[in-house]
Amino acid sequence: MSLESQKDALRRRASATFHSVKPDASSQDTALPADGDSSMPPKQTRWFTWNVTRADWDILIVSTVIKLLLYPSYRSTDFEVHRNWLAITHSLPISQWYHDTTSEWTLDYPPFFAYFEKLLSVPAYFIDPKIVDLQNLNYDSWSVIAYQRTSVIVTELVLATALLRFIPGSVDPSIQRIISATLFLHPGFLIVDHMHFQYNGFMFGILLWSILMARNGNKLASGILFAVLLNFKHIYMYLAPAYFVYLLRAFCLTPGGQVEIKNFLALANAVIGVFIASLGPFAIMGQIPQLLSRLFPFTRGLNHAYWAANFWALVTAVDRVLLRYIQFTGANISVDPAGVASSSRGLVGDTVFAVLPQIKPIHTFVITVFFQLAILVKLWRNPSVKSFLTALTLCGWTSFLFGWHVHEKAVLLILVPLSLLAAERHAYFRTYLIASVAGIFGLFPLIFTPAESVVKVVYSAIWIAGVYGLLSRRVYEYPKSLVYVIIDLCEKAYLAGFIPLLAFVSLMSLRNHRISAAASASSASGSRGHAGSPSGAASGGMEFLPLMVTSVYCSIGLIWAYLRLGSIYLFEESEYQGQLRTIQS
Amino acid sequence: MHKRGMRDWVVPSIVAFAVLLKVCIGVGSYSGEATPPMYGDYEAQRHWMELTQHLPFRQWYTYDLQYWGLDYPPLTAYHSWLCGFIGSLIDPSWFALDTSRGIETPSSKLFMRMTVLVSDLLIYIPALILFTRTFLPSPTRSSRSRSFALLTLLLQPALILVDNGHFQFNSIMLGFTILALCAFARDKDELGAVAFVAALGFKQMSLYYAPAIGSYLVAKCLWLPAPANVRLFTRLALVTGASFGILFLPFFLPPLASSPLDILNPISRIFPFSRGLFEDKVANWWCASNVVIKWRRIAGDGEAGRRWLVRASAGLTALGFLPAVVGLVKAGWGLRVREPSVKKADRDIHEPKPLEVSSTPTTDPPPFISLLTYALLSSSASFFLFSFQVHEKTILLPLLPLTLLMSAATPESAPWKWGCLVNNVAVFSMWPLLRRDGLAVPYVALTVLWDRVVGYNPFGVRAGVGVVEVLGLVVHLAAIGLHLLELVIPAPARYPDLFPVLNVLICTPVFGLAWLWSLKCGVEVGWALGGYSSSSSSSPSIRDSKSESQQQHSGFEPIEEVATGSGAQWGEDTARRRNVGGPDSGVGDGVW
Repeated sequence: MSLESQKDALRRRASATFHSVKPDASSQDTALPADGDSSMPPKQTRWFTWNVTRADWDILIVSTVIKLLLYPSYRSTDFEVHRNWLAITHSLPISQWYHDTTSEWTLDYPPFFAYFEKLLSVPAYFIDPKIVDLQNLNYDSWSVIAYQRTSVIVTELVLATALLRFIPGSVDPSIQRIISATLFLHPGFLIVDHMHFQYNGFMFGILLWSILMARNGNKLASGILFAVLLNFKHIYMYLAPAYFVYLLRAFCLTPGGQVEIKNFLALANAVIGVFIASLGPFAIMGQIPQLLSRLFPFTRGLNHAYWAANFWALVTAVDRVLLRYIQFTGANISVDPAGVASSSRGLVGDTVFAVLPQIKPIHTFVITVFFQLAILVKLWRNPSVKSFLTALTLCGWTSFLFGWHVHEKAVLLILVPLSLLAAERHAYFRTYLIASVAGIFGLFPLIFTPAESVVKVVYSAIWIAGVYGLLSRRVYEYPKSLVYVIIDLCEKAYLAGFIPLLAFVSLMSLRNHRISAAASASSASGSRGHAGSPSGAASGGMEFLPLMVTSVYCSIGLIWAYLRLGSIYLFEESEYQGQLRTIQS
Repeated sequence: MHKRGMRDWVVPSIVAFAVLLKVCIGVGSYSGEATPPMYGDYEAQRHWMELTQHLPFRQWYTYDLQYWGLDYPPLTAYHSWLCGFIGSLIDPSWFALDTSRGIETPSSKLFMRMTVLVSDLLIYIPALILFTRTFLPSPTRSSRSRSFALLTLLLQPALILVDNGHFQFNSIMLGFTILALCAFARDKDELGAVAFVAALGFKQMSLYYAPAIGSYLVAKCLWLPAPANVRLFTRLALVTGASFGILFLPFFLPPLASSPLDILNPISRIFPFSRGLFEDKVANWWCASNVVIKWRRIAGDGEAGRRWLVRASAGLTALGFLPAVVGLVKAGWGLRVREPSVKKADRDIHEPKPLEVSSTPTTDPPPFISLLTYALLSSSASFFLFSFQVHEKTILLPLLPLTLLMSAATPESAPWKWGCLVNNVAVFSMWPLLRRDGLAVPYVALTVLWDRVVGYNPFGVRAGVGVVEVLGLVVHLAAIGLHLLELVIPAPARYPDLFPVLNVLICTPVFGLAWLWSLKCGVEVGWALGGYSSSSSSSPSIRDSKSESQQQHSGFEPIEEVATGSGAQWGEDTARRRNVGGPDSGVGDGVW
């Protein structure tokens, strides 16, 4: 076989990765590691055998060991937030859950998450009653650290099992295995869950189960699981439009456009049932408005404290640059004094533009809906599983890029579903690579303590290298024309730019460290009040610069990758989707 | 094509993974974290970086000895100086004289962790890679067995926990020792001597290896034919002397030192014979037997009793490593070269060369190099078990040769079994220390990971297994039982040291048996070597049986790998199989 035809075969195989094979009961039960391992002949117990299940166990053990070693690492206030929720749900009656303000970290997740915390608080009480003591704020003994960190690791098994189940039904299990492994080991989860502290592994586990159900043709279960997920964490509303359109078109309507009344009723009843189970108790107590005010605090600004790498970060940066330009040249353009104040404050407080017109929530809403509509129309016309997954990714992506007060952690909403598409073909892989690198780098500022910073960089670098090494050759395509060659080169240059960016950010943090060390030394040696403040302000401004540069650079990549995927989806998809169209119905 | 491309990435991936683990464990706590006024080993190392930065040579070994005075040999001091120099460039406050004592800022901690990691990357990891290339060379052993060996050695939990968790620089000393071993195996004895002097100059603990290495070099000199041996001996003496001289130069040369007698300062700091028989609870003979025999009471208090104990421990230690030394020297004498060309032809089984091409035997290492690793193990284990002033961390020294033997052996072979068992028990023996350092979770995690990587399961005992497996099962059950007991019940007030003592009683027998096993292997390999050399090359049947015993007992025998890999590997294996027991297979076959 010639090299070319070999490559061609690979590509064809890869392009069909996500194409679902009809689910049957037997293929579903082959993936559980425990079954496979015990039936393995004892001869094969060496670590090197590329046995399916043994490798899965290896991945689980390795990742668990790393997470265990990170127990004492830096934790954000989210750790105390979750501990406080354990205390609230354990020591207060349900009627008080959304009213309590003992701690500033009030309960602001939907009820299922509150129930989940209630469940977790039961063993917590037996391990150390002080964990669930409502007044015991900022409790950080070893017991609570070990307990909460362990709960994250254990609940992440939901993600692990979903990823394992993805393998048997896929067209090319070997590629799906790689994708599953990279998702389980994703640096985003390590940074946000195991250092910063959240339960994203668990949440995305539910999402992946839902997507898996959709792939396997069980759309009802998919819809129910997504409704459950929404009641765990409402940020997944970013994805809801795609779900809505997909389930409506592919489940509630026939391909010809007739209403499938049985399906429709089943789905509607199930989803309403889920919401009643979640919100019912609070509706009876008449607390729905209070609950909603906790879930949707509309008093926040356009950007989160640290700018998420989205469109608004870019716009804000342009505004800041324009302001500097005007201040230097003295050009006759009206400047909003509130914006000047906002820019000198750096990261703190709401963003107010100095030069550009102010952005209101309604603007962001309109832009988001506009882009999402284009995607959803396409999904309506082509409601295949792969199309659904792409639309899901793009929906989340649109919300991330143009939404109001978006958190940097929300980038996982893009990266996780996008990973499932990574090996479809080269164009997808490229998009995935750019988005992953930019997205993960955009998460770096969450972790700013020195030792943990090294961990995040080393881990992410290994992960990216692994992903590239394992997947890139399987999907490689030659650029088709000069335009593609130029785009290819620009993208490579962009990716290479992360290395100097990392060096710049590290050097700046080193510099800030020296400045603050010098400031503390000088303030210790005498005039405390005077020497401290100016140098503090100077270093404050410079502390802001690396964060801004990071945000802007990452947002360029994420916007470009968004346009890339969007144009592939809207304009190019049909050429490549011959096979997948056949399973539309 | 695809696979070959991936193969180049195996070693970098393994190293990257090891680095990741070390970085992760570095996030956690270390010896003496936040425990003023004295802190722990971390502060000791940091303090040395501080004092070498600011003081002239003559004060290095004399400055404020009460606060972590420097008590390691000069290479540690130079290394500390270099680390302190780089650190001071970044932030001088980390190593400011006196005022920086006990500094524990996140950035200074990161810098300290990085000094260990970079030292690892510069010395220990290259040494390990060199080891796998030297002792598992390409034609006879697959790249897979090399990767396995590298992974086994790199992830060794005891060393990671002590160096990257507790905080020390043992890997530098061990790295130099491995480099010495590799140099000897590549017949670069002078280089090996320099490397070993570097190990000695970094930590005096590597004296535990000295009997083995010294007797190897003596044996080598005996083994060589007449003019070459004297030349080698002279060169070794000169090189060793010169390296020691250079190492200690600043401490006796007048412009730097006030008088040549200043050399006594480092010497008296390095060998503190005024301390007790043992400090903490250590899993060695003295501490374990002290439960029944109160040694201090028998020896009597005071100077006389202490001296008696020193002598007793020195005598026992010497007795402990004597068999290994004798074995090596005897092998050197018994195998001494009379007809170099015959030996050469025997060794080159894979590419038989015509006799006239064969060069002098000095281009190849002597056959008794396979004894050296066992001798290193016997000697260091004997020091650990019987000598004076042993720390629990010193188990790392016997652990190194044992893990080297293990990594080069096939799974389920004797060195592999002992390597797995003793590694686990060694980590367990350091449990009291690791618990104090707050390293309980890494202790469990890294041990489980390593066992998984090497494929060791102490509880998977099947019918008809050997003694080592049963011993492993019993010891592991006892260790887990002790951990559970400690978790549930607090130590009784009458016996506050109950758990450490029980720990010692579990570990010591295993270490003792491993030491005996190494002696036994040494004798067996020596016998195989000596027996072969004395018999003439006329009876192939005898030689076959000898080479078989050699295959079982030398650590570095080739693996009969299951041919699951590529065709090339399979080809290797068949080639090996054809050679085994063939008329040309010789003694050196196992190693070379």
